[in-house]
Amino acid sequence: MSVRFDFIIHWLWTIVFALLTLSGLAMAGAKYGWVLNYDIASADYVHRVLAAIYVLLTFISIAYEVIRAVRYEEKKLGWFIIGKSGYQLFTFITTLIFIITGAIIWVCMDSNMSATAFALYIHEKLTYIVVASVIWHIYVKCHALLWPKKPNTTDKKNVAGTK
Amino acid sequence: MMQKRWFKVFIWFASTSFFFLVAAILISELGPEPSEQQAMQFMMGMMDAMHNSMMGLSMSLEHDAGLKSLIGTASYILVPLIVLAVLFGLLVRVRGKRDAG
Repeated sequence: MSVRFDFIIHWLWTIVFALLTLSGLAMAGAKYGWVLNYDIASADYVHRVLAAIYVLLTFISIAYEVIRAVRYEEKKLGWFIIGKSGYQLFTFITTLIFIITGAIIWVCMDSNMSATAFALYIHEKLTYIVVASVIWHIYVKCHALLWPKKPNTTDKKNVAGTK
Repeated sequence: MMQKRWFKVFIWFASTSFFFLVAAILISELGPEPSEQQAMQFMMGMMDAMHNSMMGLSMSLEHDAGLKSLIGTASYILVPLIVLAVLFGLLVRVRGKRDAG
């Protein structure tokens, strides 16, 4: 069984993004603290570690796209997280914004409060937009949720009867 | 792969987790304002994060002169790198179109 690279990246990225959102929401403010029972220390730790994995996955994806571009491969990767149009382009742009604002928050937290506040505002509001867009994405791709059909016993009998 | 039952369970789990996240956002945004006790719990959590997590570690790293100069250099070369990357990308596209044509 061969599993495509874009397929693996898609689902790895999904897991990382879901956990990043969960840990990020817990730190978004006092009214969100209940999400992880006000355990901000764990949320912060998980968020930073996963952010590194998120950046790594994005970097690998960009490198993969660059290699494809250099080789003039025009075939569209259906499962890939980044691309030239549609939801792939939206994900690419929002991911870059998440990474840049996240890096600003991480680096400037103690030294440049205005930059941190601005980056936090963008990081938080973008989270709401992207989470809503993921729901839309699930709605559009909901055929993936269809349960595999059980082999129909009556069909088997019919097939056996014709033989 | 998509037809495997264990993978279907995973897809269902991953998808529903996003619905939980939306529900968490809606409950937090539309619910009542946090009580004083909840605000205190959040502040205590933040203090705990600064003492025991990477938040405090990253804050101490900011005072590192070597790291500061590295960040400065990285910021300085960022724009030229982006310009170079865009030029390289355009070159690849133009060459690709010429070869195809």
